[in-house]
Amino acid sequence: MLKKKYGVFAGMLTVSFMLAACADNSSQQEAEESGNDSGGDEGSSASSEDATEISFIHWRGEDEEVFDDIISQFEEENPDITVQMNIYPSEQYQSNAQQMLRDGSTGDVFTSFPGTQFETINNAGFFTDLSDEGFVENFAETSLEVGQSGGSQLAIPYQLVFNMPVYNKGMFEELGIEVPTSWSEYQEMAETLKENDITPIAFPGADIGPNQTMNSMMMNNAKNVDVFAQLESGEESLTNDWWVSTLEDFQYFNENGYFQEDALGTNQDSAMQMVADEEAAMLATGSYHMASLKDLNEDLELGFLPPITVPEEEVEYEGIHTATFMLAVNQNSEKKEEAKTFIEFLSQPDIASQYANETGQHLTVNDVEYDSEALQNTSHWIDEKDTRFQPRYLITEAAVEDAVLSSIENTLGGTAPGEAAEEAQQIVEENIGG
Amino acid sequence: MKISKTIYLFFIPGLILYSIFFLYPTFSAIFYSFTDWDGISENFNFVGFENYEKAITGDSIFVKSVGNNMEFMLFVVIFQTIIALIFAIFLVKNTKVNYLLRALFFFPTILSSVSVAFIWTFVYDPQLGILNQILGLVGLDMLTMNWLGNADIAIYALAFTQVWFHAGQMLIIFVAGLHAIPFDLYEAAKIEGATKWQTFKKVTWPLLAPSATIVIAYTTIQSFQAFDLVFAMTGGGPNNATEIISTYIYEIAFRGYDFGYASAISVLFMMLIALITFIQFKVLRSNRVSY
Repeated sequence: MLKKKYGVFAGMLTVSFMLAACADNSSQQEAEESGNDSGGDEGSSASSEDATEISFIHWRGEDEEVFDDIISQFEEENPDITVQMNIYPSEQYQSNAQQMLRDGSTGDVFTSFPGTQFETINNAGFFTDLSDEGFVENFAETSLEVGQSGGSQLAIPYQLVFNMPVYNKGMFEELGIEVPTSWSEYQEMAETLKENDITPIAFPGADIGPNQTMNSMMMNNAKNVDVFAQLESGEESLTNDWWVSTLEDFQYFNENGYFQEDALGTNQDSAMQMVADEEAAMLATGSYHMASLKDLNEDLELGFLPPITVPEEEVEYEGIHTATFMLAVNQNSEKKEEAKTFIEFLSQPDIASQYANETGQHLTVNDVEYDSEALQNTSHWIDEKDTRFQPRYLITEAAVEDAVLSSIENTLGGTAPGEAAEEAQQIVEENIGG
Repeated sequence: MKISKTIYLFFIPGLILYSIFFLYPTFSAIFYSFTDWDGISENFNFVGFENYEKAITGDSIFVKSVGNNMEFMLFVVIFQTIIALIFAIFLVKNTKVNYLLRALFFFPTILSSVSVAFIWTFVYDPQLGILNQILGLVGLDMLTMNWLGNADIAIYALAFTQVWFHAGQMLIIFVAGLHAIPFDLYEAAKIEGATKWQTFKKVTWPLLAPSATIVIAYTTIQSFQAFDLVFAMTGGGPNNATEIISTYIYEIAFRGYDFGYASAISVLFMMLIALITFIQFKVLRSNRVSY
């Protein structure tokens, strides 16, 4: 009798597990069919029964509100399409987006970083060719290259970021400092700031400082834009002058107090606070921190001031830009046309202007009108300045990128630039098989 | 007593879960460790032992991460065990104050590791951090440091955080072990005229061996699994000085998109933990006594 009871109980337990699994699956399916995803955002809930729902995934949590509004406008204009937006932290997005795109149910419209992520998604064949789409013409031609591969336009960069130090213009005016145009003027500027007990550059060495500042530090030391491609193919070496002299510049900045003390232990929040409190004159990150700096100190008047590490006659590039937040359509999606309609909507100048002004970002869309003072003050960098695409994003191997960045940290930690370059080159060779 | 065959049915739910969440991933990792799979594509090639060969002979960062992990583990095992043991001895009596203090020391264990990482990143910050400020206030300026930015000390700063995080948990295990020691042994030692140190050496420590085995083995495994703390506090930097095996695996798999190689390192990692734990059990079991 007891034996029978055990048997029945075990059987019920097993069946209940199976039923629970099925129930979970079916309820999830129901939720998907009704367009109701608890993990998503509410801004896209205006669904009608016959509407086609597309999934839009990205990493810009700070843009959620403005995207909710833009999506509402899109759904009003396109009542047969609804947009389900899901936002992931950028670190998580970098690691998991590829997996999400695999079966086509998520990320009909998705975004990609340039560089390693773009290459990986491209290798997996998840990009739809957008070359023949009319909306491509709505974007600045010069910004499109980063989303191209094999002659096809696979992704379209939406944001234009300037990855170079942001400086306190008001402080410079108060101290009578001219914007330097050569290495000697740059040194003079730094000395004047130090004499006034101001740290020239707040450098967040614990997180993004090295990967942002390396770009402007090397822009005129390595004018060859293919230098990292050649490094990865074994034709170039980090022990050559272009990189050793860049490391020497980092060493000079660190040893001469251009960076704050203990720069390698400082994170971006602390560095931003230093600039907001006017303890430091520059923040070694980029344009994406301008809005946050203004939030911390609304009196700040900001501009860009990349380090000039060569004599005036050798200056070729005046700054660094990155075309990023690349919009793309998932090749595995069954709703490609609806996805393209959404990208076309985002590329309209009035929508792009709303997005730019409410998020404090420059965009790659033509005819955008910038309202905010910070964006207006810096928008001349888009057309009038000779900026270079962020070199770091031209490194396609993550291990090579890590080696390059480690050599900066190694130098700032006290290792001689030549030695740091050699150590990094060894890691590069291990990973490219050179 | 004859056990009914029906009883084996009760193993099925557990076995299913164990197979899905442990056996399948483990065998998958072993399988992919012989491939060049990028983690996304449907196609991959078998590369034999190439990934293992690269890890052992051609990857200086992997070697460095093993070294860092061993340093981290030794620091944590030694200090966490000693601190937990000392606190357990002082808090062994069941008084109201001791209940409160045990709960207080246990408190960090219930925090999420990311919260702990944020707290300690702030504590160690060279500009705003309270550690350097306190050292400065009490006249110990010479001890102020760039805790997470100095490649020579960053791994120890992380290890100290790990000790703070988990020492309370080990304290509870030691307190339970101390309560299990018969009181008459202490009485006998007292009658024999044993000093406090002799009592600890001859009675307490030998009889605490089972608890110590659990604490040391568990602490060792925890030290190898400290991914979230290290990832959130330093990300393996500066200059890979805090790169441990688990953060390096993540780096290879999710930034380098080389799942084949990451799987090979995971398999080596699993073997390393198994080996160290096996040696610890052997050594600690040989020290056990019973009266």
